[in-house]
Amino acid sequence: MSRRILNVVINGERHELLIEPHWTLLQVLRGQIGMMGTKENCLEAECGVCTVLLEGKAVNSCILLAGQVEGRAITTIEGLGDPEHLHPLQAAFIEHGAVQCGYCIPGMILSAKSFLDENPGRQPTRQEIREALAGTLCRCTGYGKIVDAVAAAAQRMAGKEPTP
Amino acid sequence: MSARNFRVAGQRLPRMDGIGKVTGKHVYAADFTLAGMLFGKILRSTRAHALIRRLDTSRAAAMPGVRAVITAADIPAVRFGQAVRDTTVFALDRVLFMGHPIAAVAAVSLEIAVQALAAIDVDYEDLPAVFDMEAALKSAVLVHPEWATYKALPIIARSGNISGRARIKAGDVEAAFAGAHRVYEHRFTTALQHPGYTEPRAAVADWDANGNVTVWTGTQLPFDTQNTLAEILDLPSSRVRVIVPGIGGGFGGKLRIGVEHFAALLARKTARPVRVITTSEEELTHSYPRQATVVTLKTGVDRDGHLLARQGRIVLDCGAYAGSGPATAAIALQVLAGPYKTAALALESFAVYTNKGTSGSFRGPAGPMANFAVESQMDMIAADLGLDPLEIRLRNIVHEGDRGPSGEVLRAVSIEECLRRAAAAIGWDDRKPAPGRGKGIACGWWMTTGGSSGVYVKINPDGSATLVSGAVEIGTGAITGASQILAEELSLDLADISVTGVDTQAAPYDYGAQGSRTAFSVGNACLAAAADLRRQMFAIAAAQLDAPVEAMVLRDKHVVAGDKSISIAEVARISRLSGGGLIAHGTAISPSPAYDPGRLENHPLPAWNTPSFHAHAVDLSVDPDTGTVDIHRYVVAQDVGFAINPTYIEGQIEGGVAQGIGQALSEEIVYQDGKVMNANLTDYKMPTALDVPDIESILVECASVAGPYGAKGVGEPPCIEPPAAIANAIAAATGFWLPSLPMTAEKIARELRARRK
Repeated sequence: MSRRILNVVINGERHELLIEPHWTLLQVLRGQIGMMGTKENCLEAECGVCTVLLEGKAVNSCILLAGQVEGRAITTIEGLGDPEHLHPLQAAFIEHGAVQCGYCIPGMILSAKSFLDENPGRQPTRQEIREALAGTLCRCTGYGKIVDAVAAAAQRMAGKEPTP
Repeated sequence: MSARNFRVAGQRLPRMDGIGKVTGKHVYAADFTLAGMLFGKILRSTRAHALIRRLDTSRAAAMPGVRAVITAADIPAVRFGQAVRDTTVFALDRVLFMGHPIAAVAAVSLEIAVQALAAIDVDYEDLPAVFDMEAALKSAVLVHPEWATYKALPIIARSGNISGRARIKAGDVEAAFAGAHRVYEHRFTTALQHPGYTEPRAAVADWDANGNVTVWTGTQLPFDTQNTLAEILDLPSSRVRVIVPGIGGGFGGKLRIGVEHFAALLARKTARPVRVITTSEEELTHSYPRQATVVTLKTGVDRDGHLLARQGRIVLDCGAYAGSGPATAAIALQVLAGPYKTAALALESFAVYTNKGTSGSFRGPAGPMANFAVESQMDMIAADLGLDPLEIRLRNIVHEGDRGPSGEVLRAVSIEECLRRAAAAIGWDDRKPAPGRGKGIACGWWMTTGGSSGVYVKINPDGSATLVSGAVEIGTGAITGASQILAEELSLDLADISVTGVDTQAAPYDYGAQGSRTAFSVGNACLAAAADLRRQMFAIAAAQLDAPVEAMVLRDKHVVAGDKSISIAEVARISRLSGGGLIAHGTAISPSPAYDPGRLENHPLPAWNTPSFHAHAVDLSVDPDTGTVDIHRYVVAQDVGFAINPTYIEGQIEGGVAQGIGQALSEEIVYQDGKVMNANLTDYKMPTALDVPDIESILVECASVAGPYGAKGVGEPPCIEPPAAIANAIAAATGFWLPSLPMTAEKIARELRARRK
């Protein structure tokens, strides 16, 4: 199959990649670049573990053709924060016991970020948080502590509670 | 426990692997790659039961990019399996279910591997099949006509399609029924439920120059996987090394060999590393889901609702291979007895073969199925006798020193406290009749499986400790919990403990991430290792401080003797110079309690070690038109013995209840004529964030004798009671019990409409 060049910005870094036209963004992230923080499971946009941000909005990278992100900006979990500088969502997920096996967590955190960024400065209700996260399956936690974490991060991001 | 004034144990400390997991740096089996790796795919049967008349792989093998195609003809002729050695890697001359592996391909890309599968030619000749588990009990169609030639554990009783039959018997049920005030008979069915881990099963295998194989895999049981691989590959187990990088959930679905053997066989054939990962379709057609069951119960009571006798039977559908079915079915017998005093018991389990995918031991194997039957029937009896559902339970529950179903003496019994606290929290006494709304309660008990654990603990010259364990951190936080115990015992902080990865070549044996036992057993092994390390450190400190060992304690990272002290770091440095460093091997095993063998027949798990007790209560509404269930509140009171880390215990409870809600209301792998009709995550309905309410946890701490600081097993129990608690609440809301899981809105609406006519 004929390959083509893809130009894409991932976590602020420009990449020029040789891809096949049928490859998904997930395949490129994991297979070409070796960024494994974006997880792989159903490949049918049913489970949400592959969620990344495309220009700040949550998308399922498993059904997005890589060619569709030409010239655009992608954020993955690796771009959100690092161990020394955790994003408030990452810190809140740890503090509230929202992480168990952790496989859905990158997708869950990025879905939450997309949602909170759409509603800046406003404290969402638990029901709104649940609706925002309903596209990502978690089999470990029962979601309650994830909702706690997102609610706490929302407060912190709105400046109502200082980042420790 | 408060008297012990713990600093680390019992505290809500963040899990040790949390930062790696929230930053995407934690490596899971599905993330693991090697340079030059090939991609493996499995060709699966499209027939439920058929002879393979022709199998031609030549077209596939000739395709560019294909490096190997293997079938049963290319590998050692081995049958493996836990209870019954009935399983082969590939179908031999006959496929036993739709999805049965026939061949495997390794290619330079996944796309080419998939294309190669389509180029394998298979001609089938269909055979009569048996799909219904009750029909299979007496069917002339045998899934394994050669069953009698298979090796099996001596305890397992088999015959034809029955891969295991077990019994528990006590007293004279017939006489008790004859004298009973009333006798109730009910039949319940439960459905096949997928464990639903979000990481697919994945493995990478690579052979070295000396003919040893290493497999990186997301298994719950690395040592079991090592042994099974050795059998399949016809190698001594020391030449098989299993490494668990990280695991994205398992819940019992990653106990037994999944894709590791395909990767290892393809890697051997190609002399290249090979990766195999499952698709969602493969997961829902060929994995190890919770078995479907049929449970029949006959229970006799006196005028006041006291249980006099129970006859119970569970038939459990193993699918084409026994898997963990015989043991799972037998475990159901203890659950059928329940946490109740019943003088006469006649309980019987059948694990049966059918022409469907093999099933397995999903979290609390057989627990929710048998509990659903027992606890639904308790409420039916209460309703018939005009008793409060809480009251009938309180009249029958076991107490300290009572005997369990196997004749064992029960200790640290807390079922009354669990029931009373769950009932109080849900507002049990405030049950005003409101149309379409109801509260339900259910209770149960479960084992802490023992199984041995070994750990090495090393004290480093900076005063920190390294825990080397073969136990898998499956997500529960069990290794964080065990490390909290270790830190407590060594007067360290949790941050001073590091954990090595799981590697069967380097780590001591561990029975695995199963049976609510990792924190329990590894915690006990850490206690033993810490005691040994104290002895070693005190011996060194005695010479340094010129003080007697008897006067020494560990305090704040120092060995202290009166007003003299020396840091643990200094002791470790001295040990390095003089004695090869501080290291201890701690071990733990929890034998089962004494029981009455006369009560048991062919039961592989005769009496429960350190049982836990629990009660669940729920408040819900049922939509009168659609049958949709809306859960308002859900309360769990669970006896955990000692809460090593309350945050992650709550996490176990919340996650287990969510799985139980799924089993209760929506989850079912639907088979029709041997074919799975919903092999995707849209039609297989696991609860989303919108389907699970906030779950309220009450941690009851009735200390066990055998667990670290009194802890009991925690992980499995929370998924056991939800189906029954929800069924009882639906009955309170509607006036009827649905004896069939899942209790979908469709089933409820149909019943509501039928009753309106």
